[in-house]
Amino acid sequence: MREFAVFWGCTIQTRFPFIEKSTRLVLESFQLPYRDVDGFTCCPEKSLVNNIDHGAFVLTAARNVALVDELDIDLVSPCTGCVSNLATVKGELNANPREKAEVNSLLKEVGREFKGSSRLQHLVPFFHDAVGIHKIRQKIKRDFTGMRIALHYGCHMIRPSHALKNDDPLNPVKFDNLIRGLGAESLQFSSKLMCCGQGLDRVDEHDRALDFARIKLKELRAIGADALVLCCPSCFLQFDNNQFLMEKEGEKLGIPIIYFTELLGLSLGYSAEELGITNHRIDCSPFLAKWEELSSRPAPSVGIEAGLTGPNVLG
Amino acid sequence: MLDAKLNFKLLEMCSRCGACYSICPSCMNIPGYDPRAVIKDILNGEHEKWLSSRHIWECLECHYCLEMCYQHYGFENAMTALRNIAARKGLHPPQVKRGWEMFVKTSRLGEPALPARKKFGLPEPKASGAEEFRKLYALLQERRAAGNKEDKTK
Repeated sequence: MREFAVFWGCTIQTRFPFIEKSTRLVLESFQLPYRDVDGFTCCPEKSLVNNIDHGAFVLTAARNVALVDELDIDLVSPCTGCVSNLATVKGELNANPREKAEVNSLLKEVGREFKGSSRLQHLVPFFHDAVGIHKIRQKIKRDFTGMRIALHYGCHMIRPSHALKNDDPLNPVKFDNLIRGLGAESLQFSSKLMCCGQGLDRVDEHDRALDFARIKLKELRAIGADALVLCCPSCFLQFDNNQFLMEKEGEKLGIPIIYFTELLGLSLGYSAEELGITNHRIDCSPFLAKWEELSSRPAPSVGIEAGLTGPNVLG
Repeated sequence: MLDAKLNFKLLEMCSRCGACYSICPSCMNIPGYDPRAVIKDILNGEHEKWLSSRHIWECLECHYCLEMCYQHYGFENAMTALRNIAARKGLHPPQVKRGWEMFVKTSRLGEPALPARKKFGLPEPKASGAEEFRKLYALLQERRAAGNKEDKTK
């Protein structure tokens, strides 16, 4: 496996350091060749920077990719937005030699060059493709058999597909495969691929952002999901923090929000405290308690001999 | 230099399609949010009336429209162009202004939370690229200014 830099992004490091913790724990458990790289800036955030200055958007992302290109390694990020933005710019520059030359003439002034040769991947498709479900199954200590998990892909894990090229943008399967690989049921529901709506919070439309969160959370409550699993800090903010704000206003939906790295970490044997799950705003103990109860339940074959008599007795 | 541009030929086709309308989460959940109305106005040269509308900021950039688009163009490009113009006129939401200021100043949207890092036993954050970023951004602006001058003398 090629060495890769982890691109943490602003949101995880500023607001959710526990996500960095669980990500490092799982990367180390699988002995993956990752490293931290000096000099990254914001990816940058598309909805903010690109809306104001496209040139600044392209140049900043190209510089971040150049840092990885220089070291001749790949890049993996636990943030969907970061990967999507970096990959979008990489695609744009690789397809437009003139623009690429323009960007490189600027980068040259600070001693850098965008080649666009390194591979940029989100953590979920990376685990699916590069680590693989077989390896994961060999490594885990306890799976999630009996748990009913709702997945939220996060738009930018899979779109825009021309830049990311990692799954079907309208009918993705890789995240589902990983959840099933961990033994849980991946629930199918009508708002599964709906955008979380966190973007509305960034343009001073908090109430509309809550409307979007409510649609999905209410459906999850109706179908009896044990948790919502995702792998994007922006979506996490939307469903954990905004659900908490709704709860404070008396609207309790009670859907635990679990990051993919935390779910994987639990199955590897780390505790909820070690993974930082106890730092979420929405209480995850109902999910953990059900999982605990399922694993202490005896296997279906235990004690079967005692109940059998007559000619069909086992053994 | 490096400016977003609109393709009117493609938008002409958009005005007769509307595939994005059937999948866009904002179309489905925000009353009055309608790509077809915006595209019609752009083509009629009346894009100005959208510049102060909050609808142009309600595009979530989920890229669903881009994936559905038969031209692989996407309604979002029209919205991005409108937001660019609105921002230049200072019509962007206060939160976007604050975020942009922070980005230009620090090259990030927030600094690593140091006490929490310590608590979780996380390593020291890596060196920031802020200084180099600022230099690069200043260079971009210089080149743009030089380019504008050249255009005027032509």
